[in-house]
Amino acid sequence: MADPVEQQIHRDPALFYWILLPITVVMILTGILRHYLSTLLQTTPKKQPLAKIREQRSLLRAQNLRGNHQQISKSSFERRKEVFIEGVKEGRFLADPENRGKPRANPMSDPAMMEGMMGMMKGNVAMMVPQSLIMGWINAFFSGYVIMKLPFPLTPQFKQMLQAGVGTRDLDVRWVSSLSWYFLTLFGLQPVYNFILGNNNAASMATQQMAQAQMGQNPMGGQEDPDKIFNAEIENLEVIDHRYILDGVEDRLLAKLGATL
Amino acid sequence: MLDERELAIHPIVQESVQHNARTVSNIRALTASLFGVAAGTLGLESLPGFIFYFTGTAIVSLLIFSLKAEQDAKSYFFRPFSDLWAGDMFGGLMSFVLTWTLFYGLCKA
Repeated sequence: MADPVEQQIHRDPALFYWILLPITVVMILTGILRHYLSTLLQTTPKKQPLAKIREQRSLLRAQNLRGNHQQISKSSFERRKEVFIEGVKEGRFLADPENRGKPRANPMSDPAMMEGMMGMMKGNVAMMVPQSLIMGWINAFFSGYVIMKLPFPLTPQFKQMLQAGVGTRDLDVRWVSSLSWYFLTLFGLQPVYNFILGNNNAASMATQQMAQAQMGQNPMGGQEDPDKIFNAEIENLEVIDHRYILDGVEDRLLAKLGATL
Repeated sequence: MLDERELAIHPIVQESVQHNARTVSNIRALTASLFGVAAGTLGLESLPGFIFYFTGTAIVSLLIFSLKAEQDAKSYFFRPFSDLWAGDMFGGLMSFVLTWTLFYGLCKA
């Protein structure tokens, strides 16, 4: 070490049993609680009317056709495409054919949309409340002591945050109070949750944020006009350069066998 | 076009990719925590500690490559470099720091 005078603080070993251990245990238990809370709060998807489901499924079918078009022969693909295009032109797949071309109602007024937004709110609340509670608890109970020494140096900017409540100005930043242990556990317990709860748990922050990102680019903006989506799908189908996967399979088989023989 | 055709003939199954990635990340998380325990017990500080972590993960990558992937990274990973060698290098860092700090605090300071 460059600094010859290294600060040394003798701490009571009881600090470990009464601060470090409780915080760790509480953090793990909160993660588990958060997991089960979000599982319980999940709203079961509401039953949708037949027409709505037909609209979604036929769109899904077209997307699958586009994704797996190599697996069927050219004629089958063309036939399916034609049927789909015909159906869209007639508006056969739409949930309410009368409303074609009309602008969609405000998503706020749609009860189904409100339901989805409530679900998201619940997830956020289940995340935020325990975190702020625990931070308050730690600040109220355990502030003011130095409990451990970090094995790596930090810049003095961290002093205010990590040594909160410790009124010693010249103390090395490596000595930190309980709040920093809280932050360490907050970020580092991810694998522990993975081992306790399985991989798809809702305990961690990272997965929560990921799920939110996947939930859709515009949760508020609502859905577009289904007719437009169908027409876009038609365009996607039209531009496909169809190639059957079994084209030239004999040559490939012979080449493979020839290589092994 | 050739690439697309190649992908159609030898499709890459999303589930398998995810499963492999999950296996690797589980191994990484577990070993990172154990490296933290080791580094803390040895009393490593600042730079040597992080060097210890990166050497450790490199060794773990080698072990995954030779034992789990049977020396054939191409057939287990879509992009061998980013998925096996460099991927998740920093994924275990937080848990490493956690156990490192804990055991350093217990043993040394």
